[in-house]
Amino acid sequence: MEEPSKFEQYVYKNASVYHYMKISLVLENGNKYITDAQFKQLIICGLKDLYGEVGASFPFDLLKFDQNKLTGILRVYNSGLVKLWSALTLLGTYQNEACAFRVMQVSPFLLALSGNSRELQFGDQLTL
Amino acid sequence: MVRFKSRYLLCEVCVPDRSSLQLLEDRSIYNTLRAAVKRAHGDYGSALFNIGVIVKYLNAHTGVVLIRSRKKHYRLIWSALSFITCLENRGQMVQCFLNCLHVGGTIRTCQKFLVKYNRQQLHRMLPDCKTDAEKQEVRKAILSCSLSNVRDEEADEDGSDDDDDDDKET
Repeated sequence: MEEPSKFEQYVYKNASVYHYMKISLVLENGNKYITDAQFKQLIICGLKDLYGEVGASFPFDLLKFDQNKLTGILRVYNSGLVKLWSALTLLGTYQNEACAFRVMQVSPFLLALSGNSRELQFGDQLTL
Repeated sequence: MVRFKSRYLLCEVCVPDRSSLQLLEDRSIYNTLRAAVKRAHGDYGSALFNIGVIVKYLNAHTGVVLIRSRKKHYRLIWSALSFITCLENRGQMVQCFLNCLHVGGTIRTCQKFLVKYNRQQLHRMLPDCKTDAEKQEVRKAILSCSLSNVRDEEADEDGSDDDDDDDKET
């Protein structure tokens, strides 16, 4: 009789120190020319309004920024995720113009942001 | 069993010269603290300040302030205390800083701490006394420091008996 195959399962409670967010900025009057530094400054202003100096000093990084579509990937520590997300929700204006941040994906792993089942395109092989 | 828990921050206002302390009002401390919390913690901080915080007691002679806040957010208020650099007092700006001495759950525990603290301060004052009469007065003040004196005056909200004893505190 062959030996039963070993089965090991690892369960991580808090696997990652960071959380990654994929966000996009939607402006009322179409796209403007915004550099990555201005994008980050806008988010910092939102944090500062809601959480003050202490909140605005919380470190987060803008890992990728697409200037044409105004989308980006943010990285933030786990303890600051709620603050960052709530500040993005309540941010309403950019240079006296109405704007909104859409949060498309949040994940503790960066790899998960590379694929999104909402935007999945089925290829020809699946149709019979 | 189920009750509102609060934290009382016992603070001391430290100023370079004591005479500017005389006309201090609790409203000026409240307004300064509110501005400091708004700057340090934004809209979230000022909302928390509005619901829970009140200046319960202020002694203009010794500069002792008792600030009450909710148990969940007392650390936020405490952190904003260090950002206060000057108090506005009847149109004049007084340079000062707020030093937190004790955090208590009730007013009585803060009073007990204040009695012990004042007794220690008086002990420290004793070697600095120049004349014998001053020494006698300080010794008498130390002996009269007790919480039982406080209980009679609790109804008047005048604070403890001991606060009046260290009016020569440097």
